[in-house]
Amino acid sequence: MALYEGIALIQEKQAVVLDLGTDYTKFGFTGEAAPRCIIPSEYWCTSERRFKRVYDYNNEEELYDNLVHMLHLLYFRHVLVNPKERKVVVVESLLSPTMFRETLAKVLFLHYEVSGVMWADSARLCALTLGAPVALVVSLGARDAEVVAVVHGCPVLQAIQSQPLGARAIHDELARLLDRDNGTELHLPDHVLEDIKVRACFVPGRARALQLAGGGAPAARAAPYTRAERSLSVSGAARELAAEPLFARDNEMASLPDAVLQCIALCPIDARRELAENVLVTGGTAALPGLRARLAQELRHLVTLPPYRDRLRVSKFKFHTAPAHDNAAAWVGGALCGAADGGARALARDAFARERRLADWPSLLHTTPRTHPHWDELAEAEPLG
Amino acid sequence: MAYLTQPDYIKYVCSCGQLKPITNLYFCRHCLKIRCGFCICHEVDSHYCANCLENMPSSEARLKKNRCSSCFDCPSCFHTLSTRATIAQPRQDPAAGDAKIENKQPKKMYYLSCFNCRWTSRDVGIPDQPVASGGWPERTNPFAARVNQLLDYYKAIAQQEKQEKLDRERKKFAIRGKYMNLTDKTGLTGAMARNIAGLASSESSSSAIANFVPSQASEEVEELPEDYHTQEVNLKQITSMRQRLRAAEWQPRSAARLQPAARALSVKRSQRCRACDHNLTKPEYNPGSVKFKIELLAYYHVPEVKIISYETVKPGETTALLLKLTNPTAHEMQVRLLQPQDVPEVEEREEPKSIEKSLEKSLNLEKDSSWSKVLQRRAALPTACAVRAPDAALTLAQRDDAAEYDDDPQHDTSDIIMWRKSNKLALRLQVATAAGAAPGGPARAALALQYSYRNTVPPAAAAPAPRDHTLYTTLVIHLGTVAE
Ligand SMILES: [Zn+2]
Ligand SMILES: [Zn+2]
Ligand SMILES: [Zn+2]
Ligand SMILES: [Zn+2]
Repeated sequence: MALYEGIALIQEKQAVVLDLGTDYTKFGFTGEAAPRCIIPSEYWCTSERRFKRVYDYNNEEELYDNLVHMLHLLYFRHVLVNPKERKVVVVESLLSPTMFRETLAKVLFLHYEVSGVMWADSARLCALTLGAPVALVVSLGARDAEVVAVVHGCPVLQAIQSQPLGARAIHDELARLLDRDNGTELHLPDHVLEDIKVRACFVPGRARALQLAGGGAPAARAAPYTRAERSLSVSGAARELAAEPLFARDNEMASLPDAVLQCIALCPIDARRELAENVLVTGGTAALPGLRARLAQELRHLVTLPPYRDRLRVSKFKFHTAPAHDNAAAWVGGALCGAADGGARALARDAFARERRLADWPSLLHTTPRTHPHWDELAEAEPLG
Repeated sequence: MAYLTQPDYIKYVCSCGQLKPITNLYFCRHCLKIRCGFCICHEVDSHYCANCLENMPSSEARLKKNRCSSCFDCPSCFHTLSTRATIAQPRQDPAAGDAKIENKQPKKMYYLSCFNCRWTSRDVGIPDQPVASGGWPERTNPFAARVNQLLDYYKAIAQQEKQEKLDRERKKFAIRGKYMNLTDKTGLTGAMARNIAGLASSESSSSAIANFVPSQASEEVEELPEDYHTQEVNLKQITSMRQRLRAAEWQPRSAARLQPAARALSVKRSQRCRACDHNLTKPEYNPGSVKFKIELLAYYHVPEVKIISYETVKPGETTALLLKLTNPTAHEMQVRLLQPQDVPEVEEREEPKSIEKSLEKSLNLEKDSSWSKVLQRRAALPTACAVRAPDAALTLAQRDDAAEYDDDPQHDTSDIIMWRKSNKLALRLQVATAAGAAPGGPARAALALQYSYRNTVPPAAAAPAPRDHTLYTTLVIHLGTVAE
């Protein structure tokens, strides 16, 4: 047996890291500093003759097909390795739906016959890229903004905040502003809105945002945007106000800075000050020029107001810079994590074939310590084997 | 050509339940089943550059990160870049005097240029190179150094954890006194044992841990300049998302920072049947060749059905349908049309496997059976339209390339056979449509074929000569839309 294990060790292939985002998928090898490819999470569907997004699914079967096609694209078009007998590190959100995780596990283990899968949450992986013991990870994705406190390698589950304040919120606002300023309904497709956002938009500082809201500031310079069908002018307002929904406090304290402060408030009292001094803003949307600075200004302002003033007693906010581009920070964490322990923590295929169950934090089966009396009660109630 | 340019009017049901045109299907001669890209196993066969058609061994491809060393893509429009030569005039050097200039020959210099969007390597200030084949400056990932530090740190921690665990276990065993281990018996110290095992000694791993500096948070956040909103913007100078992501390691925001991108390699794939592990396709190694060493396509083994013409389908009526059947094999084929529900259920029969195969299977337990259960689906067959299948055995002659020139059709026609020509047969059929078929909806009819198939796999030493099989396939015929 020992000899056999030795051979397996030598043959261990470099594992891959998969971060299947809503808009973009990051894929590459463990131990490398950047993903090999960052591509839209979509594939060409031959039967429907259109690009199909991985996250557009109505049932498990459709999701299964989407994942099979997407992984085929990643393995055979981009990274060019056999999936078989190779481990995978899956970067996922803590709020990833169970059906999605289980379908992905089936596709990886049964369809692609990978030898092991390690599931890791993106917040913890982002914290890994810092090497700091405590980090408050503010991740701005395509759909949601998630705020997770990671304290000594553990995400504080009861404090997780998630708000629909990702790229979609910005795109919707940008479309509204463009329609308003061009005086017509433009019906711009998503990729054009994204392109305008990426190239023209920025986030003004708090002082300027207040001036603009009061109507007492000259508008920013407009930018002509050329398109094949119809060129349009991106007004100054559209350029600098598209990201305002992230900071709008009118509805129930659901703005991005509120989410950050609420997360801190829900964390253990002795970790709060450290969390505020170890903020990491990441995710593709964080690359918008000026966004970090604005968030910092809003946080410093908001913390002086009730209810945070009395509850938090936090005075300083400090920000980290991850050694990765904003859209790939969690991926780099996965690459570090997978390379460090050589995939020892991965769920092996034969274990999955036996149990058909993934470890998941909301499941008591996986979070109850082995010594807890509940296990005895369970064994009594339902004798195993 | 019709298969490339037109919609798929006829789809076959793959053994996994997917509906695909015959050109997308494979036929496993060992399982005698239709397979498709979804239910077979793909494998990387060889790496090559699709531009210069140069093969690259897999080990080298891994080292070069799957990039060709001589071809470059335009970072702006992703078209292939061309190398252009210019004659560089020796520069007038006033200090050197006139005599020297005459000795200097005009030198050929090279730069990269895109014929599609006119981007050149000079646009971003890359100096021209004296050799055509490269020497183009390579950029390194700005984060690589820090990521490597982190990697060393986490590896050291993982090592330390492993060591601590080992130590704990050894203590546990020592207390029990029941077990002896290598270090106790031979008196080796722990560090020596680690050296022998090729593991980093704990001293060096602890130095990696001790020297590690965690990321320092700062109160300063990079702010936009005060007058950012009044600055002139030229969106052409700012890269699009696609341009940034093409260079995932640098992701330049400014178009002036774009760099020629080494072209990504492609792979040739071989494909394998999952049930029996036999190859279904295996390409030739030469990148320039589009031929295969093994090519078990359904198109060569399964009778091909094409629509000649059809009457518009109307609810509650019977309409005519003309089909053409073709026998692609070198053996005569008996074909019978059936209703899909009359196809006998074939249980997934265990293929007799070699001893190694069954041993391997017993080692990795449920692998195969669990896999097919996940994938096996039942195709949703249309029921509104039904093809009236006459209960008659039709004989399809073998494929005969010489007969192609024999252009007068044989006239053994009957009420369903319209004409017959070498291995082809035209059938006159009726489609009965249910009265309840939704007008305007797609008109689709399912039809099953029973056909005889002669297996020509070279027989194993003991096995009998070519065997005849009766096989079934189900197909879905698209007949436009149901008329109002
Ligand atoms: Zn087979
Ligand atoms: Zn199939
Ligand atoms: Zn090449
Ligand atoms: Zn170009």
